[in-house]
Amino acid sequence: MMRFFPLCLLAAATALTGCSKSKGPREITGVRELSADERKINIVESPAQRFRMPSEMAGGAGAAAAGGAGGGEAAAAGGGGALPFVWTTPEGWTQQPQAPMRDLSFAFGPNGEGECYLSRLPGAGGGLVANVNRWRGQMGLDPLTEAEIIALPKKPMFGLQGTFVDIAGTFSGMGGGPVRENYRMLGVIVSSDAGAVFVKLTGPAELVAANQTQFDAFCASLQPR
Amino acid sequence: MSQLTAEDFQPKNLPRLLVGLFSSYWLAMVVLIFMTLITLFGTLYQVDHGLFAAKQKYFHSWFLLHYLRDGMPLPPSLEWIGTIPLPMPGGFLLMLLLTINLSIGAIIKVRKRKKGIGMLIAHFGMIFLLVSGFVTFAFNREGYMALYEGQTGSRVESYRTWQLEILPLNEAGEADKALTIPYHDLETIREGERREFKAADLPFDIVISDYTKNAVPVPVSAPISAQATGREVGGFKLLVQKPSKEAEQNLPAVIATFRPKSGAGESVETILSARSANFDPRDGAMAFGFEIDGKRFAARMVKENWPVPFAVRLDKFIFERHPGVSMARNYESRITRIESGAERPLEIKMNEPMRYAGFTFFQESFGPANAAPGDAMYSQFAVHNNPADQWPLYSLLITTAGLMIHFGMRLFDHTSRPRRDAAAAPAGEAAAA
Repeated sequence: MMRFFPLCLLAAATALTGCSKSKGPREITGVRELSADERKINIVESPAQRFRMPSEMAGGAGAAAAGGAGGGEAAAAGGGGALPFVWTTPEGWTQQPQAPMRDLSFAFGPNGEGECYLSRLPGAGGGLVANVNRWRGQMGLDPLTEAEIIALPKKPMFGLQGTFVDIAGTFSGMGGGPVRENYRMLGVIVSSDAGAVFVKLTGPAELVAANQTQFDAFCASLQPR
Repeated sequence: MSQLTAEDFQPKNLPRLLVGLFSSYWLAMVVLIFMTLITLFGTLYQVDHGLFAAKQKYFHSWFLLHYLRDGMPLPPSLEWIGTIPLPMPGGFLLMLLLTINLSIGAIIKVRKRKKGIGMLIAHFGMIFLLVSGFVTFAFNREGYMALYEGQTGSRVESYRTWQLEILPLNEAGEADKALTIPYHDLETIREGERREFKAADLPFDIVISDYTKNAVPVPVSAPISAQATGREVGGFKLLVQKPSKEAEQNLPAVIATFRPKSGAGESVETILSARSANFDPRDGAMAFGFEIDGKRFAARMVKENWPVPFAVRLDKFIFERHPGVSMARNYESRITRIESGAERPLEIKMNEPMRYAGFTFFQESFGPANAAPGDAMYSQFAVHNNPADQWPLYSLLITTAGLMIHFGMRLFDHTSRPRRDAAAAPAGEAAAA
């Protein structure tokens, strides 16, 4: 019986050697024929869109409302089952499906061209000064100094006093999408040991003005669950 | 096992010693104790690391190191105990030992007699169950198929493995075939490694690097990109995420470089991410398009997928909620199985799968997760291709038959013995008189 032992060892060594791959280029051997309904390939030029970034990053207009919950506490609670906070959805706003880097998104306006979203980031989320100036840059405005940013007005959110940003200008998203004239942005940023929370609303200036009360009410309604 | 002597360890007696060891009750006891322990530890490990990781570490392994801290909170004074690695046999080794133990001890070595036939059959059933577990482990392939009403599918997608597809395009932007780089060629790319791939059909070589098991491409203009340590490609970086404990939630990404073989023209570089895929079956994966040597190509990351030898069309998805809440009460699918032009209507319900041509379709799930009442919904089937699909049932039937024979014979013995005694008693009494 023991005489087979060296043979077994040799076989095992051969098998293991066969498993290792050479350092050179690997040949692509897997090929599959596509069925008729697979042949049309959906090529997307914008990387932001391809990576399913939020529409602001993708440079697109506010996502058009495609169904979703209506306003009110009940709808909000239904949409936020997994989120560690509660809110009240303002009248006329429509909750959007969750997207990467956005915990909560809404669209509003006749064609859904206004949008508001909430993001949470760990730590300081890049810092208050960097984020306020990033938002100003998206509206084509010059950066503010740290002292100017600290002096910005405050609004309540999550029981804290958040830094309130209200700026108007020419809006362009992070992905270098179309430039939109006469836009306005409202935003509140709060930071705590638990992380940073950003609420940002953008849209045509007139539409934003008509939704400013709703924005304030939404921010004030945000509370830890 | 009888008392061992020095003679038992002589080389000539080694086979007998091994047979004795592997067929002993002691081995069976030790194996069963370890099985209990790894089941307990694996369950605790699952709490923090998820089901897939727990199965891989505790049950699909030969050996493992367990730390008591895994899934079990320890008081601060005893935390040091949690850092001590405990070497344990893995589930695979234990199953193998138990199979050998049962085979030698209960089938080969056991004395064959009429009274023992029931137990022999029962043990054979148990061995068959263990063998079916091994066949499932080695050969089962499972994935899912999701369909909206009216959609027809003939491919199964993996839950958690992703591959790259390179698609040569015609002038209409369509592709007839996809060249695939399988997931194991991606998952094994080490940090800093640039792995090259080539195909005779393609006018370029492909270099894949920066494989990340779970990552989000973020624009470098976003402040959060400061936390991304990788290279910038096309204004994006890969922000590495902690791997999810539910393996199917991990979305891998790579940096792909398409390098012309001709040497003329510049290489094309991009990030390919699983985030370009869509879990909604109405919408396919988004692809990156590029041109090399005047020819158009596309590249995308998609889930590993494989065909079934027939097509399934979802005719109707029946979904009922409990009154007043969004929780599902019942869901089932009415489908048509299409094979060589022949159509056969069928129903797939919870616990009533469709078994055909070696494939089993279970009603598994539904979506989209945020669908409101009245929205279109898709039905998701778990699809298993397991040669041992029904073997556990057969083994259960065999074991049941064996035990029934065994206990039936014991019962017969028991009920027939008093009659013999009773029959013998008058004779004895007569003799005494």
